[in-house]
Amino acid sequence: MNCGFTEKISSLIDGELSAVEAREVERHLLSCAQCEEARADFLNLRSQISGFEASLPGEVQNRALAKILSKPAASGARHQWSWNWGYGAVAFASIAIVALIIGLSFYQRPPEEVASKSPVPMASPTATPTPEPESPKPETPPSKESQPQPKPRRTAPVREPKPGEQFATVPRNVQPVVPETTRPADTQTMTALHFERAETLLRAFRNVRLNEPSAAAEVRYERSRAKQLIYQNMMLRREADTSGDVQIASLLDSLEPILLDIANLPDEPDNDTVRVIRERVERKNIVALLQVNSTALARALD
Amino acid sequence: MASQDDEFTMLFQDFYPSLCRFLECLLGGRAPLAQDLAQESFLQLHRTAWGTLPPGEARFWLYRVARNMAINEFRKSHTRYRLFDRVVEAMRPAARNPEQEYETRERKELVLEMLQTLPEDQRTALLLREQEQLSYREIGQVLNVSESKVKVDIFRARAALRERWSKKVRVASAGVS
Repeated sequence: MNCGFTEKISSLIDGELSAVEAREVERHLLSCAQCEEARADFLNLRSQISGFEASLPGEVQNRALAKILSKPAASGARHQWSWNWGYGAVAFASIAIVALIIGLSFYQRPPEEVASKSPVPMASPTATPTPEPESPKPETPPSKESQPQPKPRRTAPVREPKPGEQFATVPRNVQPVVPETTRPADTQTMTALHFERAETLLRAFRNVRLNEPSAAAEVRYERSRAKQLIYQNMMLRREADTSGDVQIASLLDSLEPILLDIANLPDEPDNDTVRVIRERVERKNIVALLQVNSTALARALD
Repeated sequence: MASQDDEFTMLFQDFYPSLCRFLECLLGGRAPLAQDLAQESFLQLHRTAWGTLPPGEARFWLYRVARNMAINEFRKSHTRYRLFDRVVEAMRPAARNPEQEYETRERKELVLEMLQTLPEDQRTALLLREQEQLSYREIGQVLNVSESKVKVDIFRARAALRERWSKKVRVASAGVS
């Protein structure tokens, strides 16, 4: 019953196919009703599973965090700190012993030899036994002394989830020092910009005259623009799928194969290949849809 | 620069809800147990691995540990926990909008019921893909399997769910007519 492409449909909706494979599958989809149905079913399953909301009262989260932070933390860094104290003690003892031996050897030498060599070795034992000189932790006594205003330990705000709130499913960068570029609030702006760029690209592509000498350069430019837009298109489509924005997701879904086709054009495409893509753009009325949606999104943002 | 605890708090706020959801789906809807295991996973992270993992690795580490804990739970007796969880669920205060709550619950139960029919590895791979949006490579990293296995598992999971879903729809429509 299943067509041989069904497995590839699964990879296609996950954005896991190469541009060439994706193009092949998208072409197949145009002529295979079974696969088109499979794609719709897979996307429907996705929305069912991703729309699942955890039963998580807000107080549970805050209580859990408080409980974890109240436990004697033995995090990697703190382990290191206590270990280093151990190492520091051993190092201090070793250096003291070495200093003692050196001291004794000097004590046994003639006084004139000691006078010529004493300043160099005698300075070392007091300077070396710092347990962790590079550690920036505020808890360590040395850094407390060096920093007159130590940072408070827990300053991050504990967010209270609203009742019924669905938590963001978009994975965020774990590393907090890296500024986030794709916060949900920015997604609309990015989508609007993306639509504008895609619209410009498709209009330009529609106007390329293949018989003119500059056509090859123009096609090369459109091709590189399409390549730039594909990745963003996939990201935004996933985002729209997750947030249940069906209209945007469907528009991005229609746009993707067209971008792929343009991105995969040869250096000097023949008239037929270009005509097929243009017809597809016309048939889907995608330029107008992009225009309408980008305007609507821009208005919503205003 | 934020202190270790601040960074940990931020990670917790970001991923605790996701981890609870992942575990709840994996465990067939046992929400209180999912919350406990999510807390335990974070506790382990805080006590053993925090500060030693490369940036960005903590999330994968959490999913790996949480999944192992869930597998341990599968091995234990199910009935006792299920009964306990249902009692806890029943004791919860009523929702503000009962109709909406009913629909949400129906939908949740359907999703959970369907997910429970899948083998554990397929279910985990599919959840990490659909809910957490991890790539095949990242899922392979969490589950310690190859990307090609992840691809096949996800496809099989989808194909199986699709078939069951259409059967359900057929049965429902036969019931109506």
